Amino acid sequence: MANKVIMPKQGLQMTEGTITKWLIPEGESVKKDQPLFEMETDKLTITIDSPFDGVLLKIVRKEWETVPITEMIAIIGQPGEDISSLLTESPAVSGISAGSNQAGSNPAGSKLAAFQESFPSKMSGNENSGICLPKNSQDSSFVTKSGRILISPRAKRIAEEKGIEYSQISGSGKDGMIVEKDLNAYLSVKATPLARKMAGSSLFSGISGSGSNGRIRCADLTSTSQQEEIEPDTIIPIAGMRRVISENMTSSLHNMAQANHKIRVDMSESVKIRAAFKSRDESVSFNDIVIATVARALIEMPWMNAVADDKMIYRKHYVNMGVAVAIENGLIVPTIRNADRKSLPQIHEEMASLAKKAKKGELSKEEYSDGTFTITNLGMFGLDEFVAIINPPQVGILAVGAITETPVVEKGSVVIRPIMSLTLTYDHRIVDGAPAAKFLHRVKELLENPYLYLL
Amino acid sequence: MSVKTYVQAIRETMRDEMRRDEKVFVMGEDVEVLGGIFGATRDLVKEFGPDRIRNTPISEAGFISAGLGAACAGMRPIVELMYMDFALVAGDSLINQVAKTRYIFGGKARVPLVIRGQQGVGRGNAATHSQSVEAIFMHFPGFKLAMPSTPADAAGLLRTAIRDDNPVIVIEHKALYITKGEVPDDPDFMIPFGKANIVRSGKDVTVIATHTYVKKALDVAEKLAQEGIDVEVIDPRTLVPLDIATLTDSVRKTGRAVIVHEAHRTGGIGAELASQIYELAFPYLDAPIERLGAKSCPLPFNLGLENAVVPQPDDIVRAIKRTLHLKEA
Amino acid sequence: MKKGILATEELLNIYEMMNLIRDFEMQAVSFFEGNVLRGSVHLCIGQEATPASVCQLLRPDDYISSTHRGHGHCLAKGADPGKAMAELMGKDTGYCRGRGGSMHIADVESGNLGANAIVAGGVAIAVGAALASQMQQNGRVAVSFFGEGATNEGVFHEALNLASVWKLPVIFVCENNGYGISVPAWQSTSVKDVSQRAQAYDMEGVTVDGNDVMAILPVVKNAIDKARSGGGPTLIECKTYRWLGHWTGDPQPYRTREEVDDWKKKCPIKRMRKALLELGVSEKEIGERERKAKERIDAAADFALKSPEPDPAHVLDNVFFEEEGIR
Repeated sequence: MANKVIMPKQGLQMTEGTITKWLIPEGESVKKDQPLFEMETDKLTITIDSPFDGVLLKIVRKEWETVPITEMIAIIGQPGEDISSLLTESPAVSGISAGSNQAGSNPAGSKLAAFQESFPSKMSGNENSGICLPKNSQDSSFVTKSGRILISPRAKRIAEEKGIEYSQISGSGKDGMIVEKDLNAYLSVKATPLARKMAGSSLFSGISGSGSNGRIRCADLTSTSQQEEIEPDTIIPIAGMRRVISENMTSSLHNMAQANHKIRVDMSESVKIRAAFKSRDESVSFNDIVIATVARALIEMPWMNAVADDKMIYRKHYVNMGVAVAIENGLIVPTIRNADRKSLPQIHEEMASLAKKAKKGELSKEEYSDGTFTITNLGMFGLDEFVAIINPPQVGILAVGAITETPVVEKGSVVIRPIMSLTLTYDHRIVDGAPAAKFLHRVKELLENPYLYLL
Repeated sequence: MSVKTYVQAIRETMRDEMRRDEKVFVMGEDVEVLGGIFGATRDLVKEFGPDRIRNTPISEAGFISAGLGAACAGMRPIVELMYMDFALVAGDSLINQVAKTRYIFGGKARVPLVIRGQQGVGRGNAATHSQSVEAIFMHFPGFKLAMPSTPADAAGLLRTAIRDDNPVIVIEHKALYITKGEVPDDPDFMIPFGKANIVRSGKDVTVIATHTYVKKALDVAEKLAQEGIDVEVIDPRTLVPLDIATLTDSVRKTGRAVIVHEAHRTGGIGAELASQIYELAFPYLDAPIERLGAKSCPLPFNLGLENAVVPQPDDIVRAIKRTLHLKEA
Repeated sequence: MKKGILATEELLNIYEMMNLIRDFEMQAVSFFEGNVLRGSVHLCIGQEATPASVCQLLRPDDYISSTHRGHGHCLAKGADPGKAMAELMGKDTGYCRGRGGSMHIADVESGNLGANAIVAGGVAIAVGAALASQMQQNGRVAVSFFGEGATNEGVFHEALNLASVWKLPVIFVCENNGYGISVPAWQSTSVKDVSQRAQAYDMEGVTVDGNDVMAILPVVKNAIDKARSGGGPTLIECKTYRWLGHWTGDPQPYRTREEVDDWKKKCPIKRMRKALLELGVSEKEIGERERKAKERIDAAADFALKSPEPDPAHVLDNVFFEEEGIR
C-alpha cells in the first residue's frame, strides 16, 4: 500500500512550505526517519524525515515548488505499485507529471517552477544544448495538465517544416494553444537559421544582431552565451524566507505610517558597565545593554510595546525583544522572551544561543515568534546611523548604529565621548510623535544614567 | 451581360431551354397563369401553353413521382416545388424513388429531372415554409444539388441542371429572387457542377457560405478589411458534386475556416464540409473550424425571433475573429 | 384462328407465360430454401393470370410499373428469366447487376419502369410515363400494377387524380389478393371492390376475376384501347389470391389452410389449361408450352447460378449517369 508524503505543517502559523532539496532521488529506497527532503518555511530551513519505509515511487512536487500544507508532495510505497489512484485523488495533485510545471493550485509555486525550469543549466542540468539563454516561460499555460503542448495543426506543421522547436513558445490561442501568429512573432526576430537552431526554443530577446539589418548571427548567440558562462547571473528564487521577508517588508511600508526620530547617546556609562563585567570574566555586549535598557523603557512606556491590527492596539506588559540577526541568505528575528525580567548575563547568553541557532537555521517557531518590539544593530558594519522598517504587527523598531569616539561640547569645552546613534521607527497610526520622542529620550536617559535602574 | 433579377434569370433560362428542347417542360403548383407564387414561370404559358407550363394538383408526391416517370420515358421535366419544405411531403417520391432509380436499376435508367424551389427565411413564412433542407439532399446519394446565390449562378446552374441527365435539386432562396446582378447573355451559359466560386480572395480566413450568406460574408469581409483582416469568401455553388478541392486549397492557404449557412447548424451541411476539411487539410488548420447555422429550434414567425435563430453578420465577424485567436472575439 | 380477342397462339403464349412465372417462382422458393438467395422474395404463385394477360395485350414499347411482388410482371413484359433470376441472386448478370434484387427488377428499355419496394411507389411513376407518352404523342400506354394495399396509400390517390385530370394513357391494374401481408382487405380498405375508388376520380372502374384469363382479357383490352385513343385512364381490379405467405417462411396465422386450399382449386393455370382444351387446343400443344417454360427456367437457374458476383470495386458506379461515384 503506497503512502502519500504530504507537506507537513511545522508550527502553528505555517500555511505552506518550499521544498528546497529532495535528499532521496525518485526510485530509491528510503527508511522511516531517514532525512527525505529539505524545506523552507517563512523563517526556517528544516530537514524532514521520511515518515515511511519503502521506495520513493514518485516525487510529485519538485524542488523550489511552494506547496500548501497537507498537500501531497511524494509517494512512498513498494516497487511497481500502482499509484495512479493516489495521483488522481485530489484535484490539487492530479495530472502532475514529472518534468512539467504544475499549473493550478498555487500560482506562486508554478511561477517558481517555471522560473526554475527556465534555467536548467543552473538548477537541474541542461540535457540538450548547453546553451543557456533565457527562455520565455512567463506563460506556462501552453503546457496542459497532462504535460502536452497544445499547438494548432497548422502551427505544428509550419514549426516542423521550418525546424522550429516550439515547446517553449507561448501560445495565444484557446487554452494557450500555439497558433500560427505565435510562430510568426517568434520568427519575426531576424536570425540566421543556424543561430535559430542553436538557440533552440529560446527567444532572441536581449541579443543584438551583428549581421546585415541587425540580423542575429550564430556568433552573436555564441558571444552572448560565452558572456554568460564567464559572468553568469546568480539566480535566486524569491521563495521561502526571502518571500516572507519580501512580503513582510512590502506590507510594512504599505500599511503603516512610519515616522522616525533620531537621538545620540553617550555610551560612556555602558563602556563602564561592560568593563565591570569583563573584569569579572563575564561577557556582556553593548547590544545586550541596549536590549536590557530598551526593555526597561518599554515596560515604562507600553505605547511602544505593542502590536496592532487595523482595529485594535494590544499593549503588552512583558517585553519579548526581537533582535534582528543577519544569516546567510536573509534575516531572522529571534525573540528574547520576557527580556524585561532578565539579567544582562542572561540576556547575553540567550542572545548568543539564539544567534547561533539562527545562523544554523535551527530556531524553533517559539524562538522567533511573538516579539513585541525589535532592535536591529548594524554598528558592527561601521554604520553611524540607519533607518529600519517596522516588523509587523509591532509598532516600533530601534536601529542601533556604531559607537564612535565623537567630539562633543560639554559645559563649554570640547570632549571626546563614545557616541551611539539610535533611530526609532514608529507607526504614527498608533503612536504619536511626542510619546515616541519621550520613549526614545527615556532610552537615552537610561543608557547614559544606568543608576536610574535603581529607582 | 444583362442586369437581371435572380428570378428573372431563372425564368429566362427555363424559357430558353424550353425553346431549345421540346422535351423540357415545367410542372408544379400555380405555375401556369399565376407564373408561380414567386413569378419564376410568369408569362411562360403564353409562349409554351398549359401542356408545357403545367399546373399540378397540390399533390407533391404524385407529381414528383410523375416527373420521375416522365423523365424515364424520355421527357426532361422541371418540377417546381412551391416551397422546398414541401419536399418533405414527397419524401418517398424523392428519396426512395427519384434518387435511387438509376442505381438500383443497375445503371439502366436516366433520370433527367430537375426539381427546383425556394427555401429560407425572410418573408415571415414561419416554421413550415422557411426551412433549409439541403442537408437531406446532400445526405441521400442520387441527387445533384445546386444552390445559386446570384442571378448569374441561378442562370448558369439551372441551365446545367436542365441539360444534366440526372436528378438535380436546385434550391433557390426566396430572399434572393429580387436581387439583381449581371447575367451572361450567352444562351449556352452554363456553370459546371462541382466548381466552387471564390467570390473574394483573401489570405487570413476562408468563409464558406451559401445563398444569402454569400453576400453577407462579402459585406463582413469588406468591414474586416478595414481592420486588416483579409477574408476569402467561397460559395460552393453545388453541394453534390462538392468542389472540396477548392475549399481545402483555400483552407490550406488561410489556415482558418468559417462555414455559414441558414440551415440548422446541427447536422447541417457545415458539419459535413467541416469534417471533410478536417480530413483533408488538418495539418493546415490554425484553429477549429467555425460552423454557423440556425439554432436548433423551429423557425419562428416573428422577425426578431427569426433573426435570433439564424446567423447574423456579427456572428460571422465573431467567428472569424475566433479563428484568428483575437481577444475581442 | 382467333378465339375472342386473341388468336390461339397468343392464348398459348399467355399460358406458357403463366407456367414460366410459376416455374420461376418455384425455382426461387427452392433457391431461397437452399440458401442460394438472400433478402426478401415475394412470390406471385396463384396470381399468374393478370400479368400474363395484361402484358400479352401491350405493345413492346408500352410501359409498366410494378411492385415488390413483381417477378410475374417483369417476365410477362418480356424480361429474360435468366437475368431476372440472376438479379434475385444478386449476380452481376442480373437486370440491376445485383444492385436491386428481387424487389427492384427493372428494364427500362423494354418499358419496365421497375418493381418497386415501396407500396404504391410505382403508381405515380407510371402516370409520369403516361404523361410523357401523351406529350410526345407516341401512342404508348402505361400500366401500373399494384395490390389492394397500395390503394390506401396517399400517392395512389394522387396518381389517379393526376391521371384523370390530365386524361393520361394509363391503366391502373390492382391485383387484389385479399391480404396486405396479414391484414385482410376488409379490415384495411373502405370499399368492397377497389374499382369503386375509380368513381372518386371520375374514372371507369371494373372488377374482374383475376384468376380467369378469359375474363381479364376483354376488360384490359378495352382499357388499353381507350387509353391509346386519348380516352384517359381506367382502374381494373383483378381479384386473385396469393398461395404462399407474404414471404418465404410466413407462418400465416391470418388465414386458414382451408381458405388457401379453396383458392388452389381456382388455380389460374389449371383454368387456362381447361379453357384452352375447350377451345380445341391439343394436350400436346399445351404440354409443349409447359415443357418449354420448364426448360427456360432450368436454363435460367443454371445461368444465374453460374453467373459471377458483382465486383465491389464498382459499387459506386451509376449513382449518377456518366460519372464516377462521388465521395
